[in-house]
Amino acid sequence: MLKLFLAEVKRSWIQFIRYPAEAIGGIFIISALFYGLFLGASYVAGSSIKLGDRLDSIIVGYMLWTLVTFVLFDIAGTLQNEAQTGTLEQLFISPFGAPRVFLTRAIANLMIQFVLITTILLIIMSLTGRWLSFPPTLIFPLITVILGAYGLSFAIGSLALLLKRIQQLLGIFQFALLFLLSVPTESWTGSSKIVGLLLPMTAGAGLLRDMMARQQPLNLPQLGLALLNGCVYFGLGLALFRFAERETKRRGRLGGY
Amino acid sequence: MPRLLNELLPLYPHHLSTLKFMQILEVQHLQKTYRSSRKKIAQAVRDVSLTIAGREVLAFLGPNGAGKTTTIKMIAGLILPDRGDVKINGRNPHRDAEALRSLGAVLEGNRNLYWRLTPIENLEYFGVLRGLSPKVARQRGRDLLERFELSDKRNAPVQTLSRGMQQKLAIAVALIHEPQLLLLDEPTLGLDVEATQTVKRLIREIASEGRAILLTTHQLDIAEELSDRVAIINQGAIVAEESTGELIRRFSGSAYVVELEHELDRDRTSKIQNLGAIVTEKTILIRETEILYEVLHILQPLPLIRVEKEQANLTEVFLQLIQTQSKTSC
Repeated sequence: MLKLFLAEVKRSWIQFIRYPAEAIGGIFIISALFYGLFLGASYVAGSSIKLGDRLDSIIVGYMLWTLVTFVLFDIAGTLQNEAQTGTLEQLFISPFGAPRVFLTRAIANLMIQFVLITTILLIIMSLTGRWLSFPPTLIFPLITVILGAYGLSFAIGSLALLLKRIQQLLGIFQFALLFLLSVPTESWTGSSKIVGLLLPMTAGAGLLRDMMARQQPLNLPQLGLALLNGCVYFGLGLALFRFAERETKRRGRLGGY
Repeated sequence: MPRLLNELLPLYPHHLSTLKFMQILEVQHLQKTYRSSRKKIAQAVRDVSLTIAGREVLAFLGPNGAGKTTTIKMIAGLILPDRGDVKINGRNPHRDAEALRSLGAVLEGNRNLYWRLTPIENLEYFGVLRGLSPKVARQRGRDLLERFELSDKRNAPVQTLSRGMQQKLAIAVALIHEPQLLLLDEPTLGLDVEATQTVKRLIREIASEGRAILLTTHQLDIAEELSDRVAIINQGAIVAEESTGELIRRFSGSAYVVELEHELDRDRTSKIQNLGAIVTEKTILIRETEILYEVLHILQPLPLIRVEKEQANLTEVFLQLIQTQSKTSC
């Protein structure tokens, strides 16, 4: 599995840098956006998650938004790209099985994106002399959100397998994502609180808001619930993808997008 | 036995050549029906059974829409059959992902490669995807590039290679994990004469190593040249399956054709016609084989170009079978 992961990282990285103009263009856009944020132009972030008004919160919120959006559409995007490049069937005849191949690839892609953004941030911070500060424990709620995002990514990938063309639906998903990450379920009470715990990613996003905007320490019971939420959605997404794979094979409609 | 074989092969790859009569692929009674949105039912594949042994090339032929691709994809585990069974080295690819370690495929209409990667990067990536370690994949990749005469292009992005080179590379990639079964769907489609010759040579070599090859092509001369056996599918059902030579012999007449260098003189013409043969300018058609030597005796000492048994070719056999079946089903 580790070998496959490293092979995926290598493949994705080579594909990214093979055409330098394209890679530099991509890096320039990310750099410009984050540099804009540093200069106080918070509007350049467009739709993102509000974690507070401080620069640190805006940057973390925007980074989270970028990564979650990236994860969410990764599997469906891979399916459609691979179908176009004519390599999709080759992925499905791997002894690792399609879910493992797609998950490994999605994690590899996320890692490259994460390293790229972090490097750009570090360069901007050293250039501007403004160093961000955020608690390292932020990583735990972030993982729960990413877990949920992978679950949803598999669910959207399942739709791509079954319905083929889902470009029109992706806009709706982005809207739903903004709602899920912004809705303040941490301040909900009573039965609404239970609903909040059942929604994907919201529990983890609430913890991030508590830590960044309200400077609260990490709430471990809440983290446990957020982790459970993430795992359940991840498991559901994976199960849905396995079902969609079998159903697509039954219909004989793998490929041909 | 097949499972044991599967476990022993990685240990003794050099014994691959002794596997001539071992069934690598066993397909039993495959069936597939598609239902369209208007509740229309189309039977894509009906009761298809096939076997391929090691060192054997099976040409799987049929007109467009006959069910070839559906069958191949069911063998590769990409389409789920409604009924029937596929076994690759004794393992079912629909239930046991390990079966896929014994399978390599070059699918038609697909690039099967990453165009932004170089040949060696493609070989390494697909090697790991098929379960090899990066080191083994790299080493085997280098060997395959050498064997496929692509070493000088190892660092050029695939999209800059010619169509022939891309196709050779796709076959090399399908072989990276040394599978016992290779599915080749239209491997010579769109290739020039030289590239076609190279791909044909490679297919022969790969089979001689002990692998089983399922080959589909619309170029029937290539199928005739390369295959040991032929299976012809039409309207979802197999209409013929036997050894290529046997099938052609079955459809060939018993007549002989004698071709002369010069036109025959009147005296000899009348003698030969009296025996019952048909003379047309420089050609003599002999339907009754017992008069062959009498005719040759009359022709002596005239120069001959050829004496040949009238032989059908795979194209004629194919068309005859397909047309006969179409008439029957009408």
